[in-house]
Amino acid sequence: MRTCERLVKEGRFVPSNPIGILTTSYCELLQNKVPLLGSSTACIVVLDRSNHRLHTANLGDSGFLVVRGGEVVHRSDEQQHYFNTPFQLSIAPPEAEGVVLSDSPDAADSTSFDVQLGDIILTATDGLFDNMPDYMILQELKKLKNSNYESIQQTARSIAEQAHELAYDPNYMSPFAQFACDNGLNVRGGKPDDITVLLSIVAEYTD
Amino acid sequence: MSPVFPMLTVLTMFYYMCLRRRARTATRGEVMNSHRTVVPNNRTSPLTTELVQYAKEVVDFSSHYGSENSMSYTMWNLAGVPNVFPSSGDFTQTAVFRTYGTWWDQCPSASLPFRRTPSNFQSQDYVELTFEHQVYPTAVHVLETYHPGAVIRILACSANPYSPSPPAEVRWEILWSERPTKVNASQARQFKPCIKQINFPTNLIRLEVNSSLLDYYTELDAVVLHGTKDKPLLSLKTSLVDMNDLEDEDYEDKDACGIDSLNKKLNSAALGEGPNNGYFDKLPYELIQLILNHLTLPDLCRLAQTCKLLNQHCCDPLQYLHLNLQPYWANLNDTSLEFLQPRCTLVQWLNLSWTGNRGCISVVGFSRFLKACGSELVRLELSCSHFLNETCLEVISEMCPNLQDLNLSSCDKLPPQAFNHIAKLCSLKRLVLYRTKVEQTALLSILNFCSELQHLSLGSCVMIEDYDVIASMIGAKCKKLRTLDLWRCKNITENGIAELASGCPLLEELDLGWCPTLQSSTGCFARLARQLPNLQKLFLTANRSVCDTDIEELASNCTRLRQLDILGTRMVSPASLRKLLESCKHLSLLDVSFCSQIDNRAVLELRASFPKVLIKRSFTQ
Repeated sequence: MRTCERLVKEGRFVPSNPIGILTTSYCELLQNKVPLLGSSTACIVVLDRSNHRLHTANLGDSGFLVVRGGEVVHRSDEQQHYFNTPFQLSIAPPEAEGVVLSDSPDAADSTSFDVQLGDIILTATDGLFDNMPDYMILQELKKLKNSNYESIQQTARSIAEQAHELAYDPNYMSPFAQFACDNGLNVRGGKPDDITVLLSIVAEYTD
Repeated sequence: MSPVFPMLTVLTMFYYMCLRRRARTATRGEVMNSHRTVVPNNRTSPLTTELVQYAKEVVDFSSHYGSENSMSYTMWNLAGVPNVFPSSGDFTQTAVFRTYGTWWDQCPSASLPFRRTPSNFQSQDYVELTFEHQVYPTAVHVLETYHPGAVIRILACSANPYSPSPPAEVRWEILWSERPTKVNASQARQFKPCIKQINFPTNLIRLEVNSSLLDYYTELDAVVLHGTKDKPLLSLKTSLVDMNDLEDEDYEDKDACGIDSLNKKLNSAALGEGPNNGYFDKLPYELIQLILNHLTLPDLCRLAQTCKLLNQHCCDPLQYLHLNLQPYWANLNDTSLEFLQPRCTLVQWLNLSWTGNRGCISVVGFSRFLKACGSELVRLELSCSHFLNETCLEVISEMCPNLQDLNLSSCDKLPPQAFNHIAKLCSLKRLVLYRTKVEQTALLSILNFCSELQHLSLGSCVMIEDYDVIASMIGAKCKKLRTLDLWRCKNITENGIAELASGCPLLEELDLGWCPTLQSSTGCFARLARQLPNLQKLFLTANRSVCDTDIEELASNCTRLRQLDILGTRMVSPASLRKLLESCKHLSLLDVSFCSQIDNRAVLELRASFPKVLIKRSFTQ
């Protein structure tokens, strides 16, 4: 992500092509002398102020929601190879190459649509979506009264904290548990996981 | 009376006249001062605002470590604000040149130096940066974040690269220059040399570097230009320099001559019949020639203006068998070539690297020179000669049938079709195409016809589609190949390596750094080791699959190994390195940076056991 940040700060990207940002960043990681290892899902959302369009790229089971007037109007799709195995960018150790999953950045889903003033954009890891169904997230977002930084920060935190609590509740029928049951696994409870929540609101541009 | 005195007298008179001219100017200048508000002490007027700028863009450079189109270790990182400074270490977000130390001068592909290279020209690489606003520079700071000390020269240009019309004149002024000196720390530093004041505003700065004294790659983070928009009022120290400008006369610069003065030196017209040279005339021809061999080119040209005898000697084509014009890149233009032409009909080695940019040399000028002087040419250095186009390459291929050595390093503006002409140079033994846009078909054609090739560099040639096909052709046709640079050749696989290893058994040097598609599990490195016993230099930089077996194969088969780079692999242990060091007695460079199993302690132990080997282990923090 730091590489993505560098790319964006230096202007080496096209707003309508967020997959390009993913691809270029991923390739840059391979240019590091340090032998990096690991894997990750990725979700990139670009707001083009000039034409109020949102361009997104999502690889894996992280994702985003766009909420307008208390309802979800856009969302990303989960990309999974099979249960609990999302699409992921990875750099594998050489001995494991070909044996571990390594999806190409081109496999990311990409969408573009218009946004309006007041639209709430929530991007989060699967730690959130696996533990909190939409209606709970929407409930929290309804509490967001104004678009100043502190309120948004507060709401994002409360969503993440709530998801974190639910994750450790053994009796709660979480979305993850529901999905597991649908796949033939008889389980209940939340899914302890890393939870990252980013919250933004489309607001008037002030300098 | 010694026969040398008459010549000395002439030369002394020449210099004396120049000094007198300057002294007279100073006197007149003092009188003129009264018409201007010169502040007698060393402060600039409070009304002049100082601008501090980071570089806007990197517009030209001779080499870099990173990949084209990448942000990692590439020259483009020098623009903008610093990313790393004041941290020290080996970071991706810095600007890194391709080489360091003397390793590239010690390997089989090293070139011999040109005769008559002035000792004050030590620059090996350069980078040119633009800034948003033109200013009269007051300071240039270079933020170095790793192994500092490479910058040896800073220059400013009078041309504004952002002005829509081409510049009336392109003048380069040296702001600061020093011989390479060893800096003992590898830590980050803000380099603040004391620069000279100049009389024109600039937004184009050039850094020249020499990395020969460095222990590892130098890394630069940013360049800061301090300057004033308005011409600063004079301080007493620099008043002498500026008074010459007022007089609008050219003055002798002891470092680099202005274009006009160099051309004047080359003009041998109007030599009167002087007194005879006394005993000097009695010296044998060859002896005078031998004495002249020691003069630098500008001195040789000055000497030609002293008397008819010396003119004859100094214009003798035998004095111009090696012509190194790279040190004079800032002053060289079509007129210079025209004046040199009559003397250079026998030239064998010609170095025009770095010259002619920004319109100073034209295609016509270059072609005319080559038509007159190309027939005996054996070696032609044209690194970063951006004036070159397809026509020039055509002229070279037609006029230089004996060419054995061609260097087009970093001529990245040459269109792909220009390279088609190189195939006509069938005697080529050395060809450097580093960072050029040569394409598959042209290269295959070259390899097909140039069967005498011994040294080939295809480093960072990004337009080549399939390196396995190239390797196959090399293995089939270039049987005499001794060195091959395939640095960053993106798609070479074990198939290509197999063809190389079997086709070119004489290989002494092979650079496969940053070739990601080579997998040790295919046995390609083991094959290399077994089939290339003459290997002296092998770079497997950033190949993450190099393993202990490969090192052991090298130890068993490549005992002549001198330089090995296995940066960034997780699969090599200290034990196999120990075997390698015991077996390869000539190994002098071993780069094990970022090898996970080789920690600091392992390196210290190896260094203690093998003190003659320079074992490099870079770090990020």
